[in-house]
Amino acid sequence: MRPLIERRTTPSIAITVAAPAAATVLTVVFSFLFFDALGHNPVSTLHAFFVMPLSSLNGISEWLLKASPLILIALGLAIGFRANIWNIGAEGQLILGAVAATSIGLFYPDKESVFLLPLMILAGMLGGMAWAAIPAFLKHKCNTNEILVTLMLTYVATLLLSYLVHGPWRDPFGFNYPQTALLPPAAMFDPLSGPYRVNNSVYITIFAVGVTWFFTKYSFLSYRISVGGAAPTAARYAGYRESTSIWLGLMAGGAMAGIAGMAEVAGPLGQLSPHISPGYGFTAIIVAFIGRLHAVGILLGGLFISLLYIGGDAVQISLGMSSSVTRIFQGALLFFLLAADFLIFYRIRFVKG
Amino acid sequence: MTPRLELQNISKRYPSVQANDGISLQVMPGEVHAILGENGAGKSTLMKIIYGIVRADEGEIFCNGQPIGVHKPTLSRKLGIEMVHQHFALFESVTVAENIAISFGGKYDIVKLSQQVSEVSERYGLPVNPRSLVHHLSVGERQRVEIVRCLLQNPKVLILDEPTSVLTPQAVSRLFETLRLLAAEGCSILYISHKLYEVKELCDTATVLRDGRVTGTISPKKTSTAEIAQLMVGTDLPQTVKKASKISDEHALVIRNVTTSSEDQFGASLNDISLSVRRGEIVGIAGVSGNGQAELERLISGETTLNDAESIQLFEQPIAHLDAGKRRDLGLAFIPVERLGRGAVPSHRLNENAVLTAYRLNMVENGLLKMNRANRFTEKVIKKFGVKANGLESVASSLSGGNLQKYIVGREIEQNPKFLLVAQPTWGLDVGAAAFVRQTLVNLCNSGTAVLVISEELDELFEICDRLLVLYQGRLSQSFQCNETSLEEIGILMAGATAVGSDNTRTSVHASSD
Amino acid sequence: MNRPITRRKFLATSGAFGVTLGSGLMTKAFAANDPLKVGVVYVSPISEIGWTKQHSLGIDAIKSDLGDKVSITAVENTFLPQDAERIFSEMASSGHQLIFGTSFSHGTPMQKVAPRFPGNAFEHCSGIVHFDNLGTFEAKYYEGTYVAGVAAAHMSKSAKIGFIGGFPIPDIVGPANALLLGAQSVNPDTTCNVIFLNSWFDPGKEKEATNTLVSQGCDVICSMTDTATGVQVAGEKGAWSIGYASDMSQFAPETHLTAFTLDWSSIYVQAARDVAAGTWKSDVRWQGLAEGVVKMSPYNEAIPTDVQASLQELQASISSGGIHPYAGEIQDQDGNVRVAADSVMPDPEIRGFNWFVKGIIGNMG
Repeated sequence: MRPLIERRTTPSIAITVAAPAAATVLTVVFSFLFFDALGHNPVSTLHAFFVMPLSSLNGISEWLLKASPLILIALGLAIGFRANIWNIGAEGQLILGAVAATSIGLFYPDKESVFLLPLMILAGMLGGMAWAAIPAFLKHKCNTNEILVTLMLTYVATLLLSYLVHGPWRDPFGFNYPQTALLPPAAMFDPLSGPYRVNNSVYITIFAVGVTWFFTKYSFLSYRISVGGAAPTAARYAGYRESTSIWLGLMAGGAMAGIAGMAEVAGPLGQLSPHISPGYGFTAIIVAFIGRLHAVGILLGGLFISLLYIGGDAVQISLGMSSSVTRIFQGALLFFLLAADFLIFYRIRFVKG
Repeated sequence: MTPRLELQNISKRYPSVQANDGISLQVMPGEVHAILGENGAGKSTLMKIIYGIVRADEGEIFCNGQPIGVHKPTLSRKLGIEMVHQHFALFESVTVAENIAISFGGKYDIVKLSQQVSEVSERYGLPVNPRSLVHHLSVGERQRVEIVRCLLQNPKVLILDEPTSVLTPQAVSRLFETLRLLAAEGCSILYISHKLYEVKELCDTATVLRDGRVTGTISPKKTSTAEIAQLMVGTDLPQTVKKASKISDEHALVIRNVTTSSEDQFGASLNDISLSVRRGEIVGIAGVSGNGQAELERLISGETTLNDAESIQLFEQPIAHLDAGKRRDLGLAFIPVERLGRGAVPSHRLNENAVLTAYRLNMVENGLLKMNRANRFTEKVIKKFGVKANGLESVASSLSGGNLQKYIVGREIEQNPKFLLVAQPTWGLDVGAAAFVRQTLVNLCNSGTAVLVISEELDELFEICDRLLVLYQGRLSQSFQCNETSLEEIGILMAGATAVGSDNTRTSVHASSD
Repeated sequence: MNRPITRRKFLATSGAFGVTLGSGLMTKAFAANDPLKVGVVYVSPISEIGWTKQHSLGIDAIKSDLGDKVSITAVENTFLPQDAERIFSEMASSGHQLIFGTSFSHGTPMQKVAPRFPGNAFEHCSGIVHFDNLGTFEAKYYEGTYVAGVAAAHMSKSAKIGFIGGFPIPDIVGPANALLLGAQSVNPDTTCNVIFLNSWFDPGKEKEATNTLVSQGCDVICSMTDTATGVQVAGEKGAWSIGYASDMSQFAPETHLTAFTLDWSSIYVQAARDVAAGTWKSDVRWQGLAEGVVKMSPYNEAIPTDVQASLQELQASISSGGIHPYAGEIQDQDGNVRVAADSVMPDPEIRGFNWFVKGIIGNMG
């Protein structure tokens, strides 16, 4: 008997469900060997990684707080990815969203206005879209490569933010340190409850999951751009415009990333400093693919990646494990997950000979 | 005498189909051996097993009496087995000569190799520019590259999968001469074709397959066409019922003096093209691929647009500036030669692929998809056009080429187009499916649709067309009434000789509209 | 590394995990025989040298001082405020009575978390805001760079110094100025080219910056980042170098002039002792050569012995207050007098340094 790898004619639904389970089994096996070799008890390590962070309200709050921007950005990116529009500059769009929102939060005359927060959401969205409009315009008019342009603009955005917080927007009472003044309370999202950090911005994410799910499943527009992504020649054959894909693909990513940036400023940050994102814009690319560019998948993927990060911190605190160990574990788990994905589209069959 | 190649009890199972079931055959040195069968009969799978691309589940292969153990294409090449694939294994982004160099492996002198390519292609009447980039080449040109590549290797066994569908009649006879020469030199040839008269002319032995099984091993020269077809299809062959000519005076498509420059340096540009197709008429464009066929298709379909709106008219509306979608809104449909990636999205399911062009049939409401309507439409197409598929949710790439072609033909025809453009309608289809598609086109035309067929298969064009034109190096010849010309006359034009009056294409349009 | 928690204790703490959030009830209610729980958040992974390494040495000092009576929790590689806040909060709620933040970026989160845990002690390095339970500590880097500047001026032939900074914040801008002021005290014509990387850790960019400075004629390179790249590349190019945070002579033994190193152990140990004894009070500490928080690493043998002796003297004078690096007259880049002769720059201005002295070539970008 020898194994044969074959492509499935239709992806197996049973395996689609079983793949994460297989990844889990592989991870457990790996972690037993890995943690045991390092002298940690595998059971308590896994417990500390995945269970402990979620065993308190505060833990759940932190989990959602980190997952929310990842999910939001990934949703927007996925629309572009389906259209073969490779926006890898969500980080820059997030920064611009945060900058635009902060400009309202800091300089809007009425600091207690009830319109302050909605205006900031709008500004964040427009800021992200404006940043994404540059690669869209260049691709549409000059056929530039959006991968390069979006990535490069991320660096420009970082420098712009750096300029603002070092220069004109620096807090006058902040000992010249590069950060803005704190936003007024009316410019901040209220916490969902009590002392926990997770705030009302998660409703935006939940809403976005619903809208994206509906859009990709039922809209003809989404169908058209996905044809452009899967088979550009077929899209031209059918007469679907490429410019629709370019603009929609980039605008969706820009809008969502901009709102995510706004929600960071109006949530856990409260002010701008030279660094405002732990790479959410880049991690969201992983989330989009783990979620198979599907809204519900992205929701789960974002929650998973968020837990992975928070769990990594948790074992450092509770078990004193070093950050490099937790990173290896995180990498291995991602690897297993993607490897298990393979089985959804391929099968292994044993034949004689 | 030891057979050059022997198969014993070869079986191969795919997820949904038993592709080969206990196939045995022998090929002697210098023998030209045909493999005949319907699409999906397992011919291609069998060839891939012989070549080592696919591994058989059961059975054994012997080469010169020696069993081949673990089989791989590299081993095949060592043994002198070469294959011209039906789906070409070429790298898109490099030149013809570089492609051949890559397939040979090792160090190479590209200048010398280019020279060899030119020599071989000239000797066997297979024009190929070694410096062309492959992604600029048409299907026909790619096949020529494949044949040239194999011939450069001085093969012991040459496998050809439907090789003549893209050649002119003259080139076919030159190829046959070449193959006979090769056979006389001791090379064994495995020849896959559905053209019975070719098999009868060329081959010594034929193994006939149906549903993965051998239904007969015959000597084609001594067996009647009907008998062979019976072995292949299982029933008698259908004949295309030629319509009663009811050509209306209404012009469906008119092209006036269009000249385009090609987007890439090796592509053909169109030179002063004029053409008209009337309702109820089937007009054929003959010619070898690479003479402007692809450009003409895109020009008519709307995948390329022109600034001068008036230069192309569809039912007297200027359309040259409109994209493919807007032209379809006016009643145009198009069956392209590339099924996967152009006519259908490979990763999409069949019902999703229905939406691609047929969404105009109420499959979209308020911007939202109505998949139940797409499903009903897909079921209808599958049933009516005999598409063999694992249900309407199977992805397009899982279908065989012939079945996907039937699906696309069905999808386009079921939209009741007023004007239908078809490129290579039966390319790679088996006898039964091809006959069915031809009949469908004729029926469509009888119902008043104007049909323009671009094809390399002259038999087919003569069978269904009212008028014929030849496209050669971007120019259209005058138009010929099919019943007033001959295969030979058209064949000569396809090969580049000028016919009387062909220097004035406008005259030919007027002549045709008289 | 820091792995003092046994599994039994882990299970015990996990029960308390999160439940006490926001209550602040953990404080001082620990039994006398329970070890003191100290938490520390590092901005980067602990490596051989650099900023985080020096902080980890402070933690090591606590361990050797208090032994069994202390248990340490360290979280590495946490830079961003969003993440830091979560970790501070988790540490406080899981019974860590003393919590160190080691980066300026930890300030805002500590200011948010500390008020929720009034009974816990927070110590913030590079901090600018202090509360009743949030102390700050900081080094007078400029004393080190001033001494290094004097050494550089003695060794430089081109009278051009190169300075590479992570970010144009006062803690870097000030030391860059002091470096040049020190050099100008020897040779008034000395200039200093400045490049900011906008990153603490970017060896690629730092290498490029070093090459640029050397090609501009600078023959002494001082790099205030979290790597030894500046020292190493300068050595390869045959330029002198000045290390920061740790002694970096191992990376360029021939050309490493000296390093102004950071030793936080006294601050770490004192805080831990005070918390254990229940006597901790929040304080603002700003310490340099005098307290031993800033130290000069052994001078390169290439520096003439008389110069070495004068450098030792200079260290002593700065320690005793006899010499102040920011003593007037000091002009800015445009020639305006910013510190008058016979006066010394006031401390708040030093801590908010955001202009360059005359002779600096470059800008804050």
